[in-house]
Amino acid sequence: MADRRQNPPAQAPGQSPASTAKWPPPAERVLLGQSVKRLDGPDKAQGKAKYTYDIVRPGMLYARLLDSPHPHARVRSIDLSAAEKLPGVRAALALKDASKPDTAKVRYQGEEVAAVAAISEEVAEDAIRLIKVDYEVLPNLATVEQAMRPEAPAVFEKGNVTEPTVRAEGGDVEAALKSSAHLVEGLYSTQVQTHTSLETHGGICEWNGDQLTAWVSTQAVHGTREGTARALGVPQTNVRVITDYMGGGFGSKLGGDVQVVICARLAKMANAPVKLMLDRKEEHLVTGNRPSAFARLRAGVDAQGKLTAIDAETWGTGGAGQGSFFPVPYQVYVFPVRRQRHTDVYINAGPQRAFRAPGHPQSCFVTEVVMDELADLIKIDPLELRLRNLPPEADNAQWARYFKMGAERIEWSRRHPTGDRTAGPIKRGLGCAANRWGGGGNRRTRGMCDILPDGSVITRIGTQDIGTGTRTLVAMVTAETMGLPLQAVQAAIGDSNYPFAPGSGGSVTAASVAPTVRIAAENARDQLFARVAPALGVADPATLVAREGRIHVSGDPAKGMTWREACKTLGTEPVSAPAEWQQGLSSVGTSGVQFADVEVDIETGITRVKKIVCVQDCGTILDTLTAESQCQGGIIMGLGFALFENRLLDRNTGQMVNPNMEWYLLPGMSDVPEIDVTLVDQPERGVVGLGEPPVISTAAAIGNAVANAIGVRVRSLPLTPQTVLSALERERPGGTL
Amino acid sequence: MRSKKKDEPGFSRRSFLKTVGAGGVAAGVMGPASGVEAQAVRAAGPGAVPIQLNVNGRVHKLDVEPRVTLLDALRTRLDITGAKRVCDRGACGACTVLVDDKTVYACSTLAIEAQGKRIRTVESLTEGTVLHPVQQAFCDRDGLMCGFCTPGFVVATAALLERNPKPTAEQARKALDGNICRCGTYVRVLEAALNTGGRRG
Repeated sequence: MADRRQNPPAQAPGQSPASTAKWPPPAERVLLGQSVKRLDGPDKAQGKAKYTYDIVRPGMLYARLLDSPHPHARVRSIDLSAAEKLPGVRAALALKDASKPDTAKVRYQGEEVAAVAAISEEVAEDAIRLIKVDYEVLPNLATVEQAMRPEAPAVFEKGNVTEPTVRAEGGDVEAALKSSAHLVEGLYSTQVQTHTSLETHGGICEWNGDQLTAWVSTQAVHGTREGTARALGVPQTNVRVITDYMGGGFGSKLGGDVQVVICARLAKMANAPVKLMLDRKEEHLVTGNRPSAFARLRAGVDAQGKLTAIDAETWGTGGAGQGSFFPVPYQVYVFPVRRQRHTDVYINAGPQRAFRAPGHPQSCFVTEVVMDELADLIKIDPLELRLRNLPPEADNAQWARYFKMGAERIEWSRRHPTGDRTAGPIKRGLGCAANRWGGGGNRRTRGMCDILPDGSVITRIGTQDIGTGTRTLVAMVTAETMGLPLQAVQAAIGDSNYPFAPGSGGSVTAASVAPTVRIAAENARDQLFARVAPALGVADPATLVAREGRIHVSGDPAKGMTWREACKTLGTEPVSAPAEWQQGLSSVGTSGVQFADVEVDIETGITRVKKIVCVQDCGTILDTLTAESQCQGGIIMGLGFALFENRLLDRNTGQMVNPNMEWYLLPGMSDVPEIDVTLVDQPERGVVGLGEPPVISTAAAIGNAVANAIGVRVRSLPLTPQTVLSALERERPGGTL
Repeated sequence: MRSKKKDEPGFSRRSFLKTVGAGGVAAGVMGPASGVEAQAVRAAGPGAVPIQLNVNGRVHKLDVEPRVTLLDALRTRLDITGAKRVCDRGACGACTVLVDDKTVYACSTLAIEAQGKRIRTVESLTEGTVLHPVQQAFCDRDGLMCGFCTPGFVVATAALLERNPKPTAEQARKALDGNICRCGTYVRVLEAALNTGGRRG
């Protein structure tokens, strides 16, 4: 699962056996660290890659869901009879039991009420319209403000608002604030963001007796197997989950999704394979989101530019019954005294799920905006204030260095004090922000590498490629270890029948998979060495090396044989080497910074981001090409969070008003600025994940750049024209700069 | 901004109900016994009708209800699945195909409207095993991550380069503004569009 760990120590606590496996010395690496093109690029570019959405099984039916149109209601009855009679319908299922009060409720728009499977999607849609549901519509909470009112209807059993959880460290926060030279006070907020994965959630379920095969768009084939089996009450051994290609998840596809369970039940009823893929509206409504975040805080700094204390009341909504925690302060800068009281607010909206760096972009925005405001109060460069308040440098805490590198790339020296004084409506500004993430390996990861007598090689591991290049990574590590070209090895992933690997969340995949594959491949290769050593007249197989398609004595290339000849010595018995993850090939914790250069039109309120500079580490870089792509992608997603994306609920009806892609705005080609990525390689550290870090700082850097441009504080996201104009109006009523 | 396809007349589900009764398309697909008025009425809730689609140089005969989109006809009737269904209402470009050499959102085009036209999907671009230069450029420049939007981007880029072999960055951005990527491959896609080599011999 995606986690919220604030950088654990660089060395993970040890339980696993220390590995004897090592990465090759940097100078000897053939593939690792290079820019290696994705193995599956051609299949994707040709439209040949078969995603779950594309798979058709013989005799397959299509399912549709009937979703609750109401954000809060009790189902009194569900009448499936008309739907069942429609020609072409093969199965219909009520998903709410009106006789049981606890399950008869719907608590958010889009919650599943009934489902049908039919011979075509069109028939399934017609059948859904024939289902009659009698709802008792109940009062709903559409906003956190509504839920927090004393007179709000009691919608949630646990209460609409949880008791605050308090985290206080470092001493008396009131005293520390009182003794500060300057204080910032304000209310800061970020919006709800939906994942908007392009391939919707769903799957295809096919029963063969009591054995279920499920093709699922998931970030976790093993997690989906377990979740689906549990929900169906069948042994986990009876369920196989396959994810060959998947079209984006970003944290929303980590579990056993209810859609897949419904699909499996329909398939059982209809005695035929069933495909159930959500439509775009359902995807926005029910498959998760990044919770909103609000922080009312006071933060202080002393006359020397040292932070003193921060006291924050925070709240937010993760929808119906889900948490919304985000840490304040963001744990990059050292506030010696800090207190946070956090409250979860529940509303009648789809529950949150892990979303690429859960909690971090919210935390980062709030904290980094406060940093700029404090710098303005003591009239020092905000970069300087940051440098004065960083924790001691460590492998995974390199912000001081990266800030200086980034400042050079963005030409920070041209930054003007807050408020661009140049004439005309277009104002230019610069801003910056830092990020951190954990991203270590999962010690339960397992893998298997086979060398076959014909010389072919395959590594099997139950991970999945969610667009990050994991398939390519598995092949790269295998090929590097065998001394073979990339095309000579196969990477078999995306199947729960392969050895366990964790869900692709929390940026743990590379640090889990790469070490495990390395160890499996070394084990397999060493077994092969043992087989060929006698033929080469070598007493100690450990003196052999595999390089450039040959196995030979180290330092004596002539004393060897080709890979194929070596594999022939296996006769009819392939080498099959299992491996488990071990420490030593990966590490934990990343640090990075981003800078933004923006233009804001103070007449229209429109912000254009001109350039983003990113300086980021991720331990040992495995594939420079895809690592850079990962940074660009995170930044572009952060740009959407900064400027455009916002799940809008009608405050009266609780309905989402933009459950589509024309009003839920994602960045497009013309919105994307120049992006300058500097990846800092740390070859001595081992592999650390990179999926999450690049998304964290973008919105904060842009927010600070906008404030630097227009000269007024902008304390909420997204930075729409309305937000910007309102901020200008609030601080400078009656005029502009 | 993303008006490239939206402003082309005739490619919407809504306009179908208005035009099907009188249009030449309808005359070509409806049974000969039906009168024009009857067709219009039946179009609101009809069964399948036989149609022919010229896809990637091959004529396919199929029976679809008039409400079936070109995208669904390709994907669920012909098993041509390169074009993807993402927003399903003409906002994201993942379903982009070429109809008579123009980029079209297949999700917002009715299958029966596409009769008599030359439909090309991403699958048509590869010659044997040789990638189209645009496909090759996407691979070389890493213009794809999860890959779900990629077929749409590839088709839109190929169409751009057919019209304008040497686009400026600004022209390429504008031409690709009708496509959305969630992984954030835009920088690489633009590089690919501006660095696509000539078709290989």
